[in-house]
Amino acid sequence: MGESEILVKLKQAVIGLNQEAAVAAAKEAIAAGMAPLKAIEEGLQPGVEIIGDKFDKLECFLPELIGSAKVFRAAVDVLEPEIAKLGVSKHTSGIAVIGTVKGDIHKIGKDIVVLLLKTRGFEVHDLGEDVPASEFLNAAENFNADIVGLSALLNTTMPAQQDVINLFKEQGVREKYKLMVGGAPVTQEWADEIGADAYAKTAEEGVSIALTYMSKKVTT
Amino acid sequence: MSKISFMEVIDRTFEGQYMSQEKFDLEVFVPELSKVINKYKIQYDPDIHVPNDDDLADRVFQAGLEFYQNVGTYCVDTERVVRFTEAEISAALKAAAAEVYFGEGKDRRRLVGRKPDSSLSPFCFLGAGGVSVSSDELFIKLVQAYGEIDIADSLTMPSMIQVNGRRVRPNSPLEVMAAIYSTRLMREGLTRAGRPGMPTMNAIACASSDIAKVAGSIGLRPTDGWMMGSTAELKIETPRLNEIAYVRELGGRIVAETTPLLGGYCGGPEGVAVASVAYHLHAIMILRGDCQLHAPLHIKHVCATDPRVLWALSIGAQAITRNSHNPLMISPFMAAGPMEEMCFFETAAAVTAIIASGSNLEGLITHGGTTTDLLGPLTTQFSGEVAHAVVGIDRKEADSIVGRLCEKYKGNLENAPKGKTYQQAYDVKTGKPLPESLHTYEHMKKVIADYGISV
Repeated sequence: MGESEILVKLKQAVIGLNQEAAVAAAKEAIAAGMAPLKAIEEGLQPGVEIIGDKFDKLECFLPELIGSAKVFRAAVDVLEPEIAKLGVSKHTSGIAVIGTVKGDIHKIGKDIVVLLLKTRGFEVHDLGEDVPASEFLNAAENFNADIVGLSALLNTTMPAQQDVINLFKEQGVREKYKLMVGGAPVTQEWADEIGADAYAKTAEEGVSIALTYMSKKVTT
Repeated sequence: MSKISFMEVIDRTFEGQYMSQEKFDLEVFVPELSKVINKYKIQYDPDIHVPNDDDLADRVFQAGLEFYQNVGTYCVDTERVVRFTEAEISAALKAAAAEVYFGEGKDRRRLVGRKPDSSLSPFCFLGAGGVSVSSDELFIKLVQAYGEIDIADSLTMPSMIQVNGRRVRPNSPLEVMAAIYSTRLMREGLTRAGRPGMPTMNAIACASSDIAKVAGSIGLRPTDGWMMGSTAELKIETPRLNEIAYVRELGGRIVAETTPLLGGYCGGPEGVAVASVAYHLHAIMILRGDCQLHAPLHIKHVCATDPRVLWALSIGAQAITRNSHNPLMISPFMAAGPMEEMCFFETAAAVTAIIASGSNLEGLITHGGTTTDLLGPLTTQFSGEVAHAVVGIDRKEADSIVGRLCEKYKGNLENAPKGKTYQQAYDVKTGKPLPESLHTYEHMKKVIADYGISV
């Protein structure tokens, strides 16, 4: 079987949420001697992007988005040992630390961003909900993060985003990270007011901003 | 069989099946929902906004009943699933309140369950919907203005976001103070409106912690509505159960708030409709609600006026109101902001669907309800006026009206206009609408008359 056919199989398996088919196609890719990174970037990734775009238009829903991420992960698990064998460094788009800020227990919006970032090749450290400012700081430092994402779903918890940014400034590490804010009540004006680097209205927009930032960081 | 006790519910939060939240969401909630949608042949029709099909409504109810029986409510803190048997659910439905009295003296009002196509006037729970305001003065002014809306049966308060110039933080003394001051300012505003006994239903909207809610309750009465929220989908946190334990001892009327998300774990409109019924049962059994305040939302546009949400809202409400006497109110979120023509069209569409489907109304949250000072009494009053104007319009006629109204705005849901803040639409000293605002309001009343709604 040719490489192009295997790439189509990988893509279709993700779109069809077929984990068995994705794992089988990943094995076929290895057997055919395909570069495992190519299988991920040109096979699995386009499938994930199609599901992501559909979710953005609500032509499919959260269960399908989660399902596609699981299928993607299962196939990547097959391919990753081959990447290691070849001595190629593990591909990541960047490292992100993300959580819902202190006092806020909402998780669905943040979880969607986590999923989308993971399927776009980010190493994501999800800190969960009701996360204190110090935990964002420690995680960013420990994981050598590129991006720190702060989610807030309530007017009353938005100031906790500011608390995180203030703590990063006080500790002299503010400029090391791209600090992004999001959540239903959050606006560009609020992001500007508290000195965030970026605001994303939707999960998809957040991922797009993160990818753009990482591509600029790599080139500089 | 008697209705299951709250103590038994608490026991089950400790003794129910242990399960991770992810497993509950993906291996229980999602497949069980899909199963009942298929079993009961529930299918969304994009050409219909207000279904007129009693059989479909009853199938949605049966699906919701079976779904809730199999799925239950997930307690996030104990990681246990609280489930009920069919007999327990049936007994709870029978024992649920059929009417609730709110308020005191001449401002006392009765909320009852309505039915689809009912000629019964709706209960209008009007106001700010918890939208934040920038000053104490504006808080009082708005409460007074909402209180002066004759057709408002109860009021929903704004939320304070600052105390003495300091931004309120959750779990802080600022939050406790804001909660206490909110109820004081609320009483002042209602007194100025000449309706001191008027009931409020979310007076401590700014409070998220237990201590702030208890502190804020200093100024509340048992005859106010005590709003208890839950998290999507079918989740309960221990702090909410703590609140319920407290309010039950006070004898407060519990308004059980539920919010299924279209696009989230519920999936599409069929899932939201079925989940709405499950939430009704969750509201009665877990939240111990005297009534349900339901707010289905589009996960991305944060509104109820997307045609798919409207369909789900309508058939879900019909399913509930045809099969349960426990009163239902629906709170429709608008995508556009105050004083925008789009907001008026959305309001007319959503309220018509709600009233024809047998629900009562909460109005009105605009532009997602998340921008400070983005609110005002005119759009709220309009929602109540539409609610009364469409009483008696049956579902078939409502469907035609709503369909035509949707055409006016549905292409703009993605980038709905923000609208005007209070300061942009009203004279901040007198509280009177600016001439342009009044003109828009009067103009839109004439416009919707052409759609068959005579306000």
